[in-house]
Amino acid sequence: MTTTAPRLSTDEVSDHAPASAPTAVKSTRRRKRPRWISHTIAVVFSIVWIFPVYWMINTAFKPRTEAMTSKPEFYPHHPTLHNFAVAFTQGDFLVYLRNSAIVVSGAVVLSILLGLFAAAALSRFRFRGRRSIMVVILVVQMLPATALLIPQFLIFSQIGLVGTYVGLMLAYVAAVLPFTIWVMRGFFLAIPMEVEEAARMDGASTWQVLTRVLFPLVMPGVIASGVFAFIAAWNDYIVAYTFMQDQSHYTLPVWLASFTTQTSGTDFGGQMAASVLFSLPVVVFFMIIQRNLVSGMSAGAVKG
Amino acid sequence: MRISKIAAVGALSLAAVVALSACSSSGNAGTSGGGTQSVPTTKGDGKTLKVWVMTGDYTDATIAEINKEFTAKTGAKVDVQIQQWDGITTKISTALATSTPPDVMDLGNTQVASYAANGALLDLTPYKKDLAQGQTWLTGLSEPATVDGKLYGLPGFAGARAVIYNKTTWAKAGVTDAPTTYDELTADLDKVAAANKSTSDFSPFYLPGQQWYAGMQFVWDAGGEIATEKDGKWTAGLGDSKAQQGLADFKEFQNAYSSKASRTLDTDSPDFTQIFADGKTSAILSTNGYVDLVKKANPKLKDSDIGTFPFPGKSGKTQPVMLGGSDWGIAAKSKNTDLALQWAKIAASPSVQSKWVYGNDGWIPNSTDGIKAADSTLSDIDKGFFNAALNSKATPASGEWAGLEGDKSINQLFSAVASGSKTPESAASSFDTAADKTLNAK
Amino acid sequence: MAISTVNPGLRRAAKGPRRNLAPLWLLSPAGIVLLAVLVAPIIYLVVTSFTDYDQRTLYTGAYDSVGIANYLSLFTDPDFWWSLIRTVLFTAAMVAGSIVIGTGVSHLLTRLSTVMRYVVTIVLIFAWGMPNVASSLVWKWLFQPGYGVMNWFLTQLHVFGDMTNVDWSNNAFLSYASIWMLIVWQAVPFIALTLYAAETQIPTELKEAVRLDGASEWGVYKTITLTFLKPTLLLVTILSVIWDYNVFNQIWLVSQGGPDDATSTLGVFTFTTAFVGFHLGQGAAISVVTTLILLILTVFYIRNLIRSGEDL
Repeated sequence: MTTTAPRLSTDEVSDHAPASAPTAVKSTRRRKRPRWISHTIAVVFSIVWIFPVYWMINTAFKPRTEAMTSKPEFYPHHPTLHNFAVAFTQGDFLVYLRNSAIVVSGAVVLSILLGLFAAAALSRFRFRGRRSIMVVILVVQMLPATALLIPQFLIFSQIGLVGTYVGLMLAYVAAVLPFTIWVMRGFFLAIPMEVEEAARMDGASTWQVLTRVLFPLVMPGVIASGVFAFIAAWNDYIVAYTFMQDQSHYTLPVWLASFTTQTSGTDFGGQMAASVLFSLPVVVFFMIIQRNLVSGMSAGAVKG
Repeated sequence: MRISKIAAVGALSLAAVVALSACSSSGNAGTSGGGTQSVPTTKGDGKTLKVWVMTGDYTDATIAEINKEFTAKTGAKVDVQIQQWDGITTKISTALATSTPPDVMDLGNTQVASYAANGALLDLTPYKKDLAQGQTWLTGLSEPATVDGKLYGLPGFAGARAVIYNKTTWAKAGVTDAPTTYDELTADLDKVAAANKSTSDFSPFYLPGQQWYAGMQFVWDAGGEIATEKDGKWTAGLGDSKAQQGLADFKEFQNAYSSKASRTLDTDSPDFTQIFADGKTSAILSTNGYVDLVKKANPKLKDSDIGTFPFPGKSGKTQPVMLGGSDWGIAAKSKNTDLALQWAKIAASPSVQSKWVYGNDGWIPNSTDGIKAADSTLSDIDKGFFNAALNSKATPASGEWAGLEGDKSINQLFSAVASGSKTPESAASSFDTAADKTLNAK
Repeated sequence: MAISTVNPGLRRAAKGPRRNLAPLWLLSPAGIVLLAVLVAPIIYLVVTSFTDYDQRTLYTGAYDSVGIANYLSLFTDPDFWWSLIRTVLFTAAMVAGSIVIGTGVSHLLTRLSTVMRYVVTIVLIFAWGMPNVASSLVWKWLFQPGYGVMNWFLTQLHVFGDMTNVDWSNNAFLSYASIWMLIVWQAVPFIALTLYAAETQIPTELKEAVRLDGASEWGVYKTITLTFLKPTLLLVTILSVIWDYNVFNQIWLVSQGGPDDATSTLGVFTFTTAFVGFHLGQGAAISVVTTLILLILTVFYIRNLIRSGEDL
């Protein structure tokens, strides 16, 4: 579901590295001043855009007396790890981390496995109905999360899957599999037919062509779509919120959203520390894809 | 929090409450001819009972004690899940719909009816007599749990709100006795405010605008009602002139003694116990359990620093409070109803009630017998809450009421009034419209 | 949003019978799973929308078919129409904001030194990578009455008066403003980086040629850059429309649809109907309508995708 999926296409990250320190290579008189202006704008923009992230981190390291002031402190005067300690001990961070890990990794692995075969079929073969399947795949990944939530909840609750890891995992597979197929299909399409035909000439069966030739070549795509699927499932809130009622089954986002003190009060320092802990892997992953894709991605067949 | 139907209007003595409650005690409320079956004594070795407890209701020690007794009796284990208040209606409803719902649930007394009416809870009527264990339950807990003469919830505890104040801070400002009239209260708060001028963001009395149950105390004190029922039809009454007076009183008091930021806030964000513990306010309105939470948040505060008293109303009486409370419900889809009944029976037993629910957690016990027994041992701090409970009111006894709490329209009513973003008239008229629609839905 | 160039020769499917079965067994595992967890629920959703499925049904399983009653009551419910209008207007505001800023940032990136471009890119990735549950909480903290740094900052500007104690979630306009900022903040990175990638593909010679003809920088941007960016811009816009139309988490976590339902967009309206009021049949009907509207948007998207050369 793209509502929860990161707004991620892969081509955009693919391109800034190249040596094209763009347009402004020649320093004509005309462009010198605008460039100075551009840099000023860029600095202002960066400060504005990074500020919420900065404020989260800043608050996370502040003792409460410095966080809860009507006149903000722009850096922690007495930096403390207390908030992180609170985040770890409030509820059961490690349990929620484990829950998230189980459900998310299960959904990712399942989606990759199923998606790999489906993507191969949809990219390396022509058959009747292929186009319709592609259209359906495109359409379903646009569905609003709340629309699927109702029937999934009703069906899953009748067959005892609500409140279980498997149930949540399947809901995530439904959300990310179409997208995974779409991403990996792009990678399959980038592999020249000659590679496949050469293997076939050597007498390889379809299965062998797939497992020995195509799958290894499509590994970057597996990684890319795996990361996308991870981010989408890791970030989901509303499905887990509706499916997982027992606190011991919460995933990290549900825990984060319900992060309160024992008195049900909001502890902003702890909440920000928890947000840092929760966001960290995702931001790291974004950095990783960034690098991976710059080199590994052919001009993207991948859409959001 | 939770609300009850104990409508002990006027200042009655504890004994009078007891007498009143006894009139419609649990023993004769049941009309279905049941109530004679004993709770099964099935063993449950190897089984696990799932129990949901609301955060802030029972202490861990109390639950552990119930579990200990339960496990000793049945051999079954207990999986306790603590639940947050936010979004609880959604949580409970979705959980009750699954094939593996929580077996026993700690439900607010006003919530019970709507779940019971929809068939989510087990009918406890056949076991009523055995579950009562010779006690006479508080009607404020048993009546809202009774739908069409059938009992769906087992009374757990009751609680009332009183002013919790920092005696030391007040004493420094020259106030040594708890106020008994509204004028004394405001005069005292003025003194406290003057003495703490130098503390930034200090509120003499921290009363966040969304604390609607506090706001309702002003409305009730002025003679207003949330809604009244006639021939099965509810009519919301905040637009009524008395209620309007109450809203105006609330605004006046709130704006005078609570920080400006608090006008639109709820008690949880920022956490008002923390504000109290940090010394940024000298008084809050809350239930007994919060005394311990305040002490936990600031271990330097001792019992001797803390005092309680019922909020004195402009009317001359103490303001009517909502007697909150909690019932134990058992899921109709539970696969362990036998065990669930045994667990709930222990939780409602006189010994657990007196030693733990009252003795340890400081709640008002679930039965009139319990209150009588507690009366002689009340600490000074407890007295404020028990006295506040003497004048209590209820929210509309409609199964749909939960909806108005759920969508926060009642919170918004009071925060709009406190912040002045709406006049009491326009805030009341939009609330009344919503309330008429919701309460009469079906 | 470049185009995948598929060499048509690659797809020359061999004609052996064995090969014709391959796509079937390759597709069926995913197909079966998708049928079970996606297609069946969608059908179930439509069926549910014709019933009076409610809280009672959850516990007892009993429900009745009510025909099109849910839809009738939906179309006569002013709350629904308000919610729809809100959704459309708010989506438009969010898309417009993020596209305008995103396009600007994309162009800005082309005019920066490598180091500065790197800095801006990293900043963008941080904003982009923050999970929206976390960013929603950060937002609430930034705008917290009494303690929020934004409240303090706006007060210092001396333009809006004393904002210190303003509760953003208590005022319809301010709720929208803060959620709008949140969405735009997280949407700009994708748009900016995507457009930037497209912008670097524009041949420099073209721009130089136009410049030599005496065009202003703005003229160059308008005639060359925007023309080249048009297909990408269109796709990004359509995607933004679809995403912003579907926004749920941020609204739910920041304002819960309040005050007085003022920010209750279709997503929130569906959720509260189905999972707070537990009128699931009604909620299903709203979902069906919401989805149908979305389908129209998706058709636009797919048409443009195909037009841009994507081979389905």
